[in-house]
Amino acid sequence: MKKTKTKPQISLLSLSLSLSLSESKMKEEAMEAILRNTVQNSLRHFMYKNAIFFSEFLCAEFPSEANLQLLASCYLQDNRAQCAYHILKGTQMAQSRYLFALSCFQMDLLNEAEAALCPANEPIAEVPNGGAGHYLLGLVYRYTDRRTNAVHHFKQALSLDPLLWTAYEELCILGAAEEAAAVFGEGAAICIQKQYLHHTFASHNSHVSEEDRNLTSSRNLVSAEEVSPRQLKQLSGNNVREVPGSCQGMTTSVRGAGQPPNGVYHLSLYNTPSPIATQFSAAAPPPLCRNLQPNGSNTSTAAADSSPRSTINSTIQAPRRKFVDEGKLRKISGRLFSDSGPRRSTRLAAEAGANAGTNAASVAGNGTNNSSKYLGSSKLSSAAFRSVTVRKVPNWANENFDEGMRNEVFDDCRSNIVSGAGALPSVDNKALDQEGATMPCSGVLLNNSKVLTGTAEILSLLRLFGEGYRLSCMYRCQDALEVYSKLPHKHYNTGWVLSQHLKEGMKLSYLARELISTDRLAPQSWCAIGNCYSLQKDHETALKNFQRAVQLDSKFAYAHTLCAHEYVALEEFENGIRSYQSALRIDSRHYNAWYGLGMVYLRQEKFEFAEHHFRTACRINPSSSIIMSYLGTALHALKRNSEALEMMERAILADRKNPLPMYQKAKILESLESFDEALEVLEELKEYAPRESSVYALMGMIYKRLNMNDKAMLHFGLALDLKPSATDVATIKAAMEKLHLPDELAEDS
Amino acid sequence: MATESSEGEEEGKLTGGSPVLSVDEDLREMGNKAAWSVSSCKSGNGVSSLRDDNLETYWQSDGAQPHLVNVQFQKKVKLQLVVLYVDYKLDESYTPSKVSIRAGDGFHNLKEIRSVELVKPTGWVYISLSGNDPRETFVNTFMLQIAVLSNHLNGRDTHVRQIKVYGPRPNPIPHQRFQFTSTELNTYAFVR
Repeated sequence: MKKTKTKPQISLLSLSLSLSLSESKMKEEAMEAILRNTVQNSLRHFMYKNAIFFSEFLCAEFPSEANLQLLASCYLQDNRAQCAYHILKGTQMAQSRYLFALSCFQMDLLNEAEAALCPANEPIAEVPNGGAGHYLLGLVYRYTDRRTNAVHHFKQALSLDPLLWTAYEELCILGAAEEAAAVFGEGAAICIQKQYLHHTFASHNSHVSEEDRNLTSSRNLVSAEEVSPRQLKQLSGNNVREVPGSCQGMTTSVRGAGQPPNGVYHLSLYNTPSPIATQFSAAAPPPLCRNLQPNGSNTSTAAADSSPRSTINSTIQAPRRKFVDEGKLRKISGRLFSDSGPRRSTRLAAEAGANAGTNAASVAGNGTNNSSKYLGSSKLSSAAFRSVTVRKVPNWANENFDEGMRNEVFDDCRSNIVSGAGALPSVDNKALDQEGATMPCSGVLLNNSKVLTGTAEILSLLRLFGEGYRLSCMYRCQDALEVYSKLPHKHYNTGWVLSQHLKEGMKLSYLARELISTDRLAPQSWCAIGNCYSLQKDHETALKNFQRAVQLDSKFAYAHTLCAHEYVALEEFENGIRSYQSALRIDSRHYNAWYGLGMVYLRQEKFEFAEHHFRTACRINPSSSIIMSYLGTALHALKRNSEALEMMERAILADRKNPLPMYQKAKILESLESFDEALEVLEELKEYAPRESSVYALMGMIYKRLNMNDKAMLHFGLALDLKPSATDVATIKAAMEKLHLPDELAEDS
Repeated sequence: MATESSEGEEEGKLTGGSPVLSVDEDLREMGNKAAWSVSSCKSGNGVSSLRDDNLETYWQSDGAQPHLVNVQFQKKVKLQLVVLYVDYKLDESYTPSKVSIRAGDGFHNLKEIRSVELVKPTGWVYISLSGNDPRETFVNTFMLQIAVLSNHLNGRDTHVRQIKVYGPRPNPIPHQRFQFTSTELNTYAFVR
């Protein structure tokens, strides 16, 4: 009897114990959840100190690798990669490894980054975070000069996530990109659709099985039918650190721990453009339903009250936020909710500023400027990938495009839902149907056909952008232009594209001022100012500005090249060579640096070096007639005159408007004593450059050698009329003097 | 015309002086590539005050006249203009009066190429090195010596606040005999 009595007692005891245990457990979980929420909230409001404080608190109370990840991500957001590095050193979880690699990358510890992403002793281990991980790994390989590996990983990244535009850009820069149509084609469409449609499937799944946990969306949508839309909003909101009002305790229900590639893949899908955001999806929370159930009842009623429209709206907010990095949030909201005009002009300014000085040749004639722009912007994209701070906006080109694209997608969502509301006057609505609740982004009311059309639109645009970029990376600028002109008008107008056409050097100083006032931390602004000074021949100040740009972003190859140009102008050739080489270390396809080195060697009369460098530059950019003509000059100096002449011909053909190769050709002919041919060329040149003193001066010299003194005098006179430099005046006048002494022994000039 | 040499001592009186330094576009300052030295100086007012771009600091000599400033280049350079900053209002009897400019390969073969007399100068004084002949726009030399032969009010020592030496800008395009003047050619001259 006793036994039986005690049994129930014991069982009661145990029950109460277990209850209290579970209660305390739940209390703990709630505490942890609250802390995580606080951290995410603080991050959302850019209150980094607060976020860090609470995440440290969290780690102290609930030490777990997931919380460590959260802490590390706070540090990364606050631009303190070193702290993140130390925290995550030695961690094994995939997400931790990814964050660790990111910190290493920002600290320039590329070896460690590589080791973290693909450990040497586990060759089969998956690269964490799918597409984003491959992209990061690709960058590491790129900066350690392992091109084939880099290319491989970028391609992997793209195949896992076709919307990883930056990966495609990197491929273009490395010269290994396939045609955009292939990359952003059918396969990609299917890929993207699969991701989105998966969410619909998941939404029907009410159990949190292991597999489901892998899918962020499923976490969003678990028991979507049971859980009301409001719940859903909270869930998806949680995913993006947005914790809606009533459900503070309901955090973390949406992350998966182990991160097998699948789940991470979806994460990376959402967070592709700003991998930093993935940090928040770290941590292994208790399974979803456990958290859900207690609150589910509470909120479902509340949710039921709220109008479908508002919940859906706010849900849309969530995905939009997901994509937005801290720094971009400001820009995007500015862009959407204000007139996009001024911002575009700022961006234009930014692009133009990064463009070279007044000597910007026309787009058609001289692809150099454009391509150098691209190089600059590509550097920026990789830089942006790494930089997290709000103010730092190195990712000009990419960001604009990304914003454009992303905003497109989301605005379409919005336009669908808030049908006809015209909420965003500055953005045109694309041709998606104006039906009610279609949300390609979070899955409750997914409509398959909408996903398809949405994807198709994005991809078709991406194809255009991609092809254009690829072509411009190959310096086939005319083709690139044609591609761009096919873009729908509004995209064409994004700063990224229009920058190609902006060649008004006059506005340079104005733009530079505007840039600096907009963003002092962008290296481009400083480059723009530097270019202004350079134009005014104040090379020391220009140099200082370019050095500042380098300080801001040491991986900005173009800034190094500009520094080098200034050194050369100041005749500090050693420093110039050093800077050119730095630029080339960062980007071996930076043809401006090759060209610059060639010029230095030409000046130093090291003609073989000069020839080699010009030739490399030419190979990289086969459409620059200027480089070709300098190559010809070098060849002429090496006395390989027939090759030189051939090169000049090619240069002339490459750009009919470029008078330089014609002039050089005439010079070569003169030195070969084919005076008549030389004169012919010069006569033609007079058409292109009628007020060029040196043309007449050279003609005068030739006539002098032909002993046609009258003509010589005439041309010398014309040359002098055109106000040449003092040195040339001296030379010409000296020559004129000698004309008057035909019978005396004239010394050679 | 060919026989006349430009070695003739050209006497010229220079009065006044501009408060602002303005030099032609096609000239550039060459002093950075030279080694500067002075015949004597008071401590704290040495040769560095001549090149510090600070008009408050000055070089003060400390010895017998003539006081010399030597500018030595590593290779022959073309020079066209020497500019001094001197101020009678501030320095009175320390202000240079007779200045002679000499050029040559070294101390052993300096020859006077220009001689001027300053009359109460207050500011930048431009001394051109060109001869009359357009062929002689420049002086091609290893070394330049600026000699202060006498001061205002017969002062013994002299104050000079700044000295700049200008030569022509080299052709930015290597291996070109003539420089380009038109925008067409200048636009296409470089890749940036």
